Amino acid sequence: MSETLNHQEQPVLGHKRSSLQHYLRRSRRFLLIGLPLVFLVIWTSVPILWAFMASLKEPLEIYESNTFFPRSPSLEAYQTVLAIDGFGKWIFNSVLVTVVATIVPLILSILAAYGFARYFFRFRHILLLLYLVPRIIPRVSLIVPLNDLMSNLGLINTYWVLYITYIASAVPLSTWILVGFFKSVPKEIEESATIDGANMWNRLRYVILPIAWPGVVTAAVLCIREGWNEFAFVLALVTETGMRTLPYALYTLRDSMGVQNFAVYNAFTILTVLPLLIVYLLLERRVVESIVTGAVK
Amino acid sequence: MNNSYVEFRELQKSFGSTSVLHGINLQIEEGSFVVLVGPSGCGKSTLLRMTAGLEPINSGQISIADRVVNRVPPKDRGIAMVFQSYALYPHMSVADNLSFSLKMNKSPLDRIAEAVKGAASILQLSTLLQRLPGQLSGGQRQRVAMGRALVREPAVFLFDEPLSNLDAKLRVEMRAEIKALHQRLNATTIYVTHDQIEAMTMADKVVVMNDGRIEQVGAPLEIYDRPENLFVAEFLGSPSMNLLPGKVVFGDGTAAVELENGVLLPLPNKGDLQSDQKIIYGIRPEHIALADDENGLAITLTLVEPAGWETHLHADLAGVTLRFLSVDRVNARPGDPAHLAIDTRQLHLFDPETGRRI
Repeated sequence: MSETLNHQEQPVLGHKRSSLQHYLRRSRRFLLIGLPLVFLVIWTSVPILWAFMASLKEPLEIYESNTFFPRSPSLEAYQTVLAIDGFGKWIFNSVLVTVVATIVPLILSILAAYGFARYFFRFRHILLLLYLVPRIIPRVSLIVPLNDLMSNLGLINTYWVLYITYIASAVPLSTWILVGFFKSVPKEIEESATIDGANMWNRLRYVILPIAWPGVVTAAVLCIREGWNEFAFVLALVTETGMRTLPYALYTLRDSMGVQNFAVYNAFTILTVLPLLIVYLLLERRVVESIVTGAVK
Repeated sequence: MNNSYVEFRELQKSFGSTSVLHGINLQIEEGSFVVLVGPSGCGKSTLLRMTAGLEPINSGQISIADRVVNRVPPKDRGIAMVFQSYALYPHMSVADNLSFSLKMNKSPLDRIAEAVKGAASILQLSTLLQRLPGQLSGGQRQRVAMGRALVREPAVFLFDEPLSNLDAKLRVEMRAEIKALHQRLNATTIYVTHDQIEAMTMADKVVVMNDGRIEQVGAPLEIYDRPENLFVAEFLGSPSMNLLPGKVVFGDGTAAVELENGVLLPLPNKGDLQSDQKIIYGIRPEHIALADDENGLAITLTLVEPAGWETHLHADLAGVTLRFLSVDRVNARPGDPAHLAIDTRQLHLFDPETGRRI
């Protein structure tokens, strides 16, 4: 009788044990992966959420309490920001220099990276390392000589000074990213395209770039971010109000406002961050799609 | 003007200070299926890549259809190549993969559509045209790679170990498909492999290469039956030929080879051999058989490997290992004594110093 009971109980025990193991495994996975991710999401999103909530508060409400949510949410601060004289021009400036400082470096670095990845020439590695020098030297230390150089060239307070410095800063970064992606495209695929009659430009356009598309999008995202957020160069090389970009305008907001209106500051911050956030969200999906397509061999 | 379609003349290639091809001379007739076979690093793939125009030539000459192509770009050589890794464009559909070369060469759209349809129907790809390479099986990818070569209507097909990524069963199927395709198109084909079975089964002409040199050229069975040197003798055939060093001894009107362990192996006649001449005695495993009587060579079986329709056996002949085959079922076990008979009509004798056939 006892034997029969044992036989009946064993599977139940086994089942319990396996479900317990399953539970432990899931808990461990959550602790190792889930928890750090939750922490990271909070760490990155809370400042933006806090700024957003603060932008909806009354001008003096932020001094009164430490509550996260606004008492009576209002878009007044946004109306104030949009009404600031020159805001439209600053957005235009930011968009213009970011677009130029993304497209031009991408074109240059696609060509440079292709050369570094596919052609073997003397001092290739040293040249690639030298490419990094502008990124290694602290940006602040470049400001004085750059200012000197640009004023001698008569470029201070022109778009050109921003184009030149932004592009020079972005090219090394995107080249380094793209070299790795281009190298990962199997050489045989390109040889096959050569036999199929594709010249270098066609190989680059129809074969290399589509396969290395995740790399191109990654480089583009970083160029956009660099261009949009650039502060040191614009601070040092631009003095006219009409030539400012959004980060610089945000920095000078305190002086131009004359009042400590934190709701307006935060609304300005949110309006500065928002376009970049939208670009990120749009391109992130593209990056994932491209990775999936590119991985298919 | 000669009847060779592809010709290599004194072709040399080196990478830096490493010389990989040392003066290759070869003539390939129009419509033939030539297999370059040899161990890894023998230079066969380099030779193929030079033919395709993917590797520059250091010296010598390659001509295709009586035209020297040393400086002709790959697309204008009239060749198409199938790579070991297939090298399909992963972001393009099967149809786009097939039509890429025609688009690059600005062919009319109706001609492109026709060529893609034709290649797809020959290679049974018609239902897969919209798929991406990643959605295909290994065999289907292989067919797309062949289709891509096919639409170019090349004068010469180049295959670089195209079957080595496939499993054994698929390899046999694709082998037959490639051969059938060649018979259908009758286009000159140069096929590189390290697999001697592929070489033997597919080729009209086998070119055995070793260390940047051509060791022997000939029809598959001609090379198998009459290897010109020790390398070819050992490389072709599985299990490989028994090569036993010894010296020639003459008896009363008989001749034999005395191995280093003192065992005498029979020779059919004296021929041009000299007494005490050092020699390598070569005999293929299928030309050794278990003898019913006790007149044969006394051996001890050391390994019995039943392979289905044949049995592979290893025997110890006074310290020397002999490999042989039996198509009859063998009930013996390792350690059993037995006697062997050698078919002396099928011997291969080599000079140990030069390695050449005597």
